[in-house]
Amino acid sequence: MATRVSNLVRRFPEPDPGVPSRLTPGRYLLWLARVQFGVVLLGAFYGCLWPTAQALIPYAVGRAIDDGLTGRDRGDLLLWGGVVLALGVAQAAAGILQDRCALTNALGARYRTLQLVTRQAARLGATLPRKTSAGEVLSVGVADVTAIGRALDLSSRTIGAVASIVVVAAIMLATSWRLGLVVLAGVPLIVWATALLLRPLHDRQTRLRVQQAELTAQAVDIVGGLRVLRGIGGESLFGRRYDDESQRVRHAGVHVARAEAALEVARMLLPGLLVAAIVFLGARQVLSGELTGGQLVAFYGFAVFLATPVRRIVVGAGAIMKALVAARRVVTLLALSPSIGPGGGSAALAGGVLVDPVSGLLVEEGRFTAVVCAAPGDAAALADRLGRYVESSVTYGGLPLASVDVDEVRRRILVSGNDARLFAGLLRTELCVDREADDAELLAAVDVASAADVLEALPDGLDTVVASGGKEFSGGQLQRLRLARAVLTSPDVLVLVEPTSAVDAHTEARIAARLAAARAGRTTVVFATSPILLDHADSVVLVDAGAVVATGTHASLLADPRYRALVAREEGPA
Amino acid sequence: MSGTPGASAAGLPVASAREVRRHARRLALRERRSVAAAVGLHALAAASGLAGPWLLGRLVEDVTAGVDDVTRITLLISLFVVAQAVLSALAMFVSARLGEKVLAQLREEFVHGVLALPLGAVEEAGAGDLITRTTRDVDLLARAVRYAIPETLISVVTIVLTLGGLVLLGPLLALPALVGVPILWAVTRWYLRRARAAYLRENASYSQLAEGLAETVDGARTVEAFRLGSRRSARMDRDIVTSYAAERATLRLRTVYLPTIDVAFVLPVVATLVVGGLLHLDGVVSLAAVTAATLYTQQLLAPVDTLLFWLNELQIGGAAMARLRGVRRDPAYPEGEWAAPATDTVNEEMIEVRGVSHAYRPGHDVLHDVSLTIAPGERLAVVGPSGAGKSTLGKLLAGVHTPRAGTITVGGVPVSSLPLDRLRTEVALVTQEHHVFRGTLRDNVVLARPSASDASVEAALRAVDAWDWASTLGLSAAVGSGGAELSPAQAQQLALARLVLADPHTLVLDEATSLLDPRAARHLERSLAAVLAGRTVIAIAHRLHTAHDADRIAVMEDGRIVELGTHDELVAAGGSYAALWRSWHGGG
Repeated sequence: MATRVSNLVRRFPEPDPGVPSRLTPGRYLLWLARVQFGVVLLGAFYGCLWPTAQALIPYAVGRAIDDGLTGRDRGDLLLWGGVVLALGVAQAAAGILQDRCALTNALGARYRTLQLVTRQAARLGATLPRKTSAGEVLSVGVADVTAIGRALDLSSRTIGAVASIVVVAAIMLATSWRLGLVVLAGVPLIVWATALLLRPLHDRQTRLRVQQAELTAQAVDIVGGLRVLRGIGGESLFGRRYDDESQRVRHAGVHVARAEAALEVARMLLPGLLVAAIVFLGARQVLSGELTGGQLVAFYGFAVFLATPVRRIVVGAGAIMKALVAARRVVTLLALSPSIGPGGGSAALAGGVLVDPVSGLLVEEGRFTAVVCAAPGDAAALADRLGRYVESSVTYGGLPLASVDVDEVRRRILVSGNDARLFAGLLRTELCVDREADDAELLAAVDVASAADVLEALPDGLDTVVASGGKEFSGGQLQRLRLARAVLTSPDVLVLVEPTSAVDAHTEARIAARLAAARAGRTTVVFATSPILLDHADSVVLVDAGAVVATGTHASLLADPRYRALVAREEGPA
Repeated sequence: MSGTPGASAAGLPVASAREVRRHARRLALRERRSVAAAVGLHALAAASGLAGPWLLGRLVEDVTAGVDDVTRITLLISLFVVAQAVLSALAMFVSARLGEKVLAQLREEFVHGVLALPLGAVEEAGAGDLITRTTRDVDLLARAVRYAIPETLISVVTIVLTLGGLVLLGPLLALPALVGVPILWAVTRWYLRRARAAYLRENASYSQLAEGLAETVDGARTVEAFRLGSRRSARMDRDIVTSYAAERATLRLRTVYLPTIDVAFVLPVVATLVVGGLLHLDGVVSLAAVTAATLYTQQLLAPVDTLLFWLNELQIGGAAMARLRGVRRDPAYPEGEWAAPATDTVNEEMIEVRGVSHAYRPGHDVLHDVSLTIAPGERLAVVGPSGAGKSTLGKLLAGVHTPRAGTITVGGVPVSSLPLDRLRTEVALVTQEHHVFRGTLRDNVVLARPSASDASVEAALRAVDAWDWASTLGLSAAVGSGGAELSPAQAQQLALARLVLADPHTLVLDEATSLLDPRAARHLERSLAAVLAGRTVIAIAHRLHTAHDADRIAVMEDGRIVELGTHDELVAAGGSYAALWRSWHGGG
């Protein structure tokens, strides 16, 4: 058995997650179940076997008492004792086999959805923040995949629960239909009543969780600002405030505990009284000879047992409801499409002059062009147009960018701003993202960005594993690594937005000179206002209110009062 | 710039297992009355639970023999059901109330411990470790105190009483119930030894999955710009491989563990039934006793199962408590009783740096033999390329670290030996790292002087050019996470306003205005200068105008001061500062 199962237990990840057929929540869940139908079916089989074996145990115990003890038959006692043991072993085996299938189902759904979401996030690219929020996608990737996985996990258990109820009902009705009906009516009623009582408790628990989250946020806040608190003071203020909130949470917790205790009374009382009723009715039937003592014990066992599958069905139904809500979010995300068209046919960009008709910006091929924008927002908007992150009429070598495949545009024109992200991984591969560069090439780019000192401080240099987002680096260090990455990518057109805003004047001077040298003969556009950088550009363009107002060199433009006011504003009356 | 990337995650201490046990014992003793009440109530509830099967056994025997005491016995059964329900609810409530009390106490102790960490420890610990302790460990401990401990307690009490019930039915009937014990003991030991690490790996693999996705999502634009789509998919697939391997590892453990305990659970039932049955057939025990014993044995399963389940959680809770107890106030420095200064009051505020060298890693000095004298009231600017050691010098001046060699003294007293209360009145450091606390705008300014008047808060905000937006927002506006969002520049102004109100003799400003736009920064620095007249200011600057406005400028390169003098002197000297100044002027 076990070997057959491990053959059925798939290998994850699937090389290709596939394409969900129709994007509705229900269809999505069904699709997930269909692509691993074999395991779902096998899981359902074990799912039936497992509780059925469990359910039969009270029956076998009852027979042992009747045939063995009351009937005073040693052989029957041993026989039914053996049956109990066999059932116990069978339910243990079926239980774990069911678990294995359920896990495979859950993981399959979870991994497949994660793969789809990752591919979709990559496909949406720059569109993603415009159409949805990062938090929304993340909650799909963390909470929703868990909810979907759980529904598939519970599917076999829920099917099994139904099956075991059918088996037990059949035995009970065959033994004593009156007693059977009492049990079959009583158990769902109790489960329903308990669920009803649970609802107000859920509300209180939710409120408590909100308060706990607030308390945690307060503690995280203290940790986040600890340097400030320890450096300047305020520990007693914040300590006292935390204590107050902590005590509030404590009292809210006690409040919830009171409700939980009240529920506990109901939860123990209702099944207990049902069992008492069965004992009463059953004992009368034993007296009148309709029932045996062992059957009475069996009914006692059934009543205790049945609460479990009924609860399991309730949980399973709840999980499916939650999974549907989660699946709705997944399909909504999967249905999004990038906001810029895929671009035209297979035309290749061959270089030339980059022109933005809207602003009148003209970038000559092979030159280092600096663009000074009076309004900071203009720089970002202009860079977006040049790189076709928004629909625009920009042409490159006479060809409108909109008529070319987006991937081709990305290959030729790289826009890198300060929001560009450094990914976790080996620094070497995170700096050179599109090929394998040798150390000399990498170090040369690091040198252009004047980041050799950043590298030196790392324990393993280029072979250091850096954290997500380059958390261990300061703003200035990160900016230089970003620049090194952009330089290494070596695009035909490199567009940089404020690449040196977080570095000191000494370093900026070095970067400006080295960048100009490294990109000699290639098209480079830098959006900046720092005179040190502007001084190294072949030509400088001044943009005001979204339009080019002057073109020249840093030295020549200094004569322009608008330019001077923007660039040399640091120069106060000395 | 913060100097040392990926540096020492030295980590905070973790309390020993002995210390955790001792503390748990201390807490239990302190709350002994509540503990006793909880245990007593749980015991009574468990005892009531034993009445049902016993009465059923009696009933089966009686009715089989034709004796009609059905009404009486069912009434008794109902009575015990009610008693058990009420008693266990009460017991639950008492345990929960106690748990909440202890939990509040533990987390408050922890936060106060955090608030008393020494400056150097805060710097070295790395925020990650502290954040994990604050969030994850506090949650784990809560789970242990609220659920694991009471559930374990209930299980143990129930098991003991049920076994007691079996012994009362007949000592011979209690023996078969124990056949599962050796198996349970051995397999649980086997499992728990491996489970912890395996489940931690599983959790870690999920964090990794989430982190990978978060990166792709947060950096979606970068993914598009650098055409990293297939790389991101490959990373997700790799993380799935890791996660799947971790899942399979825990599944393997469960595949051994769960069926074994399931069988170990059914064995005592079969043994009791068969052995008890044979004894009955031999006339040693009654039918009622066998029936009740079989039911008791079945009833034992649930508490044993619960106990096994929570054992692991108890272990985890213990580990969390060890990490929380690791951060507690050093008994040598109780709050408010910092060691008295060794020397008399500092009245001459001369700062002297003599032959200072410093390294974060042994053998890698980032400062080499730096000497510098700063006169009271002087404004010194420190400029130089990244990695020159400017920030390190700033931290040493503020007493965050003790220099590896050489001395830094304020009025003759080494800064790093000043008790914290005194140090704060002498030197304060503001870096470009900023933090807006959850709370009101006012709270964010008055840190050093909680009793400050609104007028002095206003004055401080005016001194940093922040009064315009601050008055629009209002001093009691909620800011920080969850409140009104402040821009980085505004946060930086707040940091400076705090400092103005704290009013130390010497201020070390490490890129403290770097997030403001250049024109605003210069204006702020000038209005700040007016307020800080007479104070010593050491400004580590990345914009040259800051240097231009200072009394003296120190140019640092490779951990050394290479030029020192006034702006005019340095420009005249024609060194690296002069070259930079000319470039800044755009050759103009």
